[in-house]
Amino acid sequence: MENEILTMLLDQAVRLLDAEASQTGLKALLEEPGSFDAALWGKAVELGWPAIAIAEESGGLGLGIGSLAPLLQELGQRTVSLPLASGYVTAAALLEGGVAADVAAQLASGQAIATLALGEAGECGLSPAVVFSGGTLKGAKAPASFAAVATHALVSARDGDTPGLYLVDLTAAGVTRDVVPAIDNARAAAALRFDDTPATLVVAGWNALLRHTGVAATLVAFEQIGGTERCLRISVDYAKERKVFGQAIGAFQAIKHKLADMYQELEIGRGCAIDALESLEEGRGDFLMLACTARLGAGMAYDFAARECIQTHGGIGVTWEAEPHHHYRRARSLALEIGGAPFWRDLLVDGQQILETV
Amino acid sequence: MNDMSTQANESLGDYVARARAWLDAMEPRFGHEARKGLTVDQDLALAREYQRLKSEAGYACITLPRALGGGGGSEIQKILFGQEEFKHDFPTTYFTVSQGMPIPMLLRYADKETSQRLAPPAIRGETIWCQLFSEPSAGSDLAAVRTRATRDGDGWRIDGQKLWTTWAQYADYAIAVVRTDPTVPKHAGLTFFWLDMKSPGITVKPVRKLAGESEINEVFFDNVYVPDSQRMGDVGAGFRVAIETLMIERYSVADDACGGPTLNEFAKLAANSRINGRAAIDDGQVRRALAEAIVERQGLRSIHRRALSAIAEGKEPGPEGSIRKLRLARRRQAMGELAMDLMGAEGMLLEPEGTSTLDHVWSWMDVPGARIAGGTDEILRNTIAEKVLGLPQDYRPDKKVPFNQIG
Repeated sequence: MENEILTMLLDQAVRLLDAEASQTGLKALLEEPGSFDAALWGKAVELGWPAIAIAEESGGLGLGIGSLAPLLQELGQRTVSLPLASGYVTAAALLEGGVAADVAAQLASGQAIATLALGEAGECGLSPAVVFSGGTLKGAKAPASFAAVATHALVSARDGDTPGLYLVDLTAAGVTRDVVPAIDNARAAAALRFDDTPATLVVAGWNALLRHTGVAATLVAFEQIGGTERCLRISVDYAKERKVFGQAIGAFQAIKHKLADMYQELEIGRGCAIDALESLEEGRGDFLMLACTARLGAGMAYDFAARECIQTHGGIGVTWEAEPHHHYRRARSLALEIGGAPFWRDLLVDGQQILETV
Repeated sequence: MNDMSTQANESLGDYVARARAWLDAMEPRFGHEARKGLTVDQDLALAREYQRLKSEAGYACITLPRALGGGGGSEIQKILFGQEEFKHDFPTTYFTVSQGMPIPMLLRYADKETSQRLAPPAIRGETIWCQLFSEPSAGSDLAAVRTRATRDGDGWRIDGQKLWTTWAQYADYAIAVVRTDPTVPKHAGLTFFWLDMKSPGITVKPVRKLAGESEINEVFFDNVYVPDSQRMGDVGAGFRVAIETLMIERYSVADDACGGPTLNEFAKLAANSRINGRAAIDDGQVRRALAEAIVERQGLRSIHRRALSAIAEGKEPGPEGSIRKLRLARRRQAMGELAMDLMGAEGMLLEPEGTSTLDHVWSWMDVPGARIAGGTDEILRNTIAEKVLGLPQDYRPDKKVPFNQIG
């Protein structure tokens, strides 16, 4: 039954995305800072996408995180940005923390939009400097995706020495939202500043912060894998079609081997993402380590594929009209928004013993 | 020991548990400690004894019939047993080629009397078969073999030279692909035979590898007689039979570290090495290299796990399994170099008793061949590009030209 629902949902998603996600529309989103495809989001809400993975007790359909991963992969293939991963992660954190059940329900119904505000200036990891004290937040976060249109933010901050995740209603007093020009304007990025802004503690402690970020990393990995698949597909198609020196460029080993390398990166990233998702679904003790490998593997794959997709396309690849730059932008955006690779590598190396023993 | 061959209705989990227990029981006689300091001849004798016990227990040639000394089991059991056996340092290497390809091919192509006579001793480890494929001018391009077979009454006379033949120095028999018609294009003029390595006119000369010890040989043929009854497949079908031979193991297993030290061993070395007094494991370059290796290993583990599920369900595993050796051999080389860097000048030491699985320097020293044998990095990339991604085949100017007219 659940499988049938999922298959139907994915079929619907592919049809909708194929119809709605045009190159013209996607390019228009890139033109203006803080862009968001509100019309597409409206249709996604109608089809119930925000609700599918969110737990039933939070007002969702409770189909589990495994239902969201293939949907994000489809979005990733088309460089479509919808706040599905941020909505799920926020709702799951709210449920775990036992707070703001009403907000979780609004996230499930699509009335609310969440942004994950995890980054800060001068820090590529997740260690927060924003301070929580006396029920309010003070400090500035780095640009966060969907912050330009979000109703709520899940914010990392510290209470004394204890880091945690906090829920902020972005209509509350003391919130400054600066829409910023970005490499990928379709991510609806904005920088958030809090000046004695009321906030609610959701979960406390470094481990909780890492675990919830690990869930986000796992979901984003599927988006990255989708993007990588698309880069490989259009590169291969172009290499078969484009002729120079009397033959298709795909007949030259320089191109063949590059694309074979892209395939390897894709499959390694995909393997890491699949394993992290499975561990999360099974509630295993190796989840965080596998989330690290998913974050790094899928990120490396997409960055490599996006870069070499442009290279394979040659001159046409550097034009605005062509598709590759959407991936070049998106690959880097996704790689940066929930902690950079140097941070995740550190976490992985420090915990690698776990992968040897599990 | 009781007959431990495949038991009906046994779950794969129980099968693995039983295999583990059996392997653990073999450890004192055949494990790393037992093999220390043995000469190659002594090690080979030990290997034959282990092989005999394996065959009795149903763990030798697991997919081949029990009546011949095989295991009568499934492909998934064979893979699972291989994975468990890898965890021990047993002397299995002498039989890998012999039992992996020539014996299954013999069962497919030789008449019943021949296969019933020759397969069982090979499965029990009493005899060894080698595979006479590559030559000085035919490595990646197997169809370019020059070793000639010419008609002589009811048989053939073979002249020429093979190269890179694994364990030919111990081989009793061989399968071979040779040129029987040089007037047709190269793929069409080949024929496949099995032959007795003790035949007059065969000379085996071990090739000294850069790391010293060697399993590879040159094999010279001087007017060697082979009866036509030892032909496998039609005259002119040799290339197809050779490819079939190489495809027998549709899914082969190599350990996570490609025969080198594990990443855990590398992490231990990094924890115990200093860079100007700081622990090397705290250094960003070292951490990056280790993290990327762990990510790659995880992706490959996932691919392997999914391939096993597919095989267990009787499905074909995906093509992504083909990236494993390509990735792991290069990784072993890179990690070996970095390990030696961390050892500083001590990294120059080549421990006489060292082995590739435990010693970073030996691992580095002995790894270049892994990037060449079983498909070079370059050929493997071509294969992915052509067979998986559907890109055009390389330009091959000699493809349709009669072999004796290729310049």
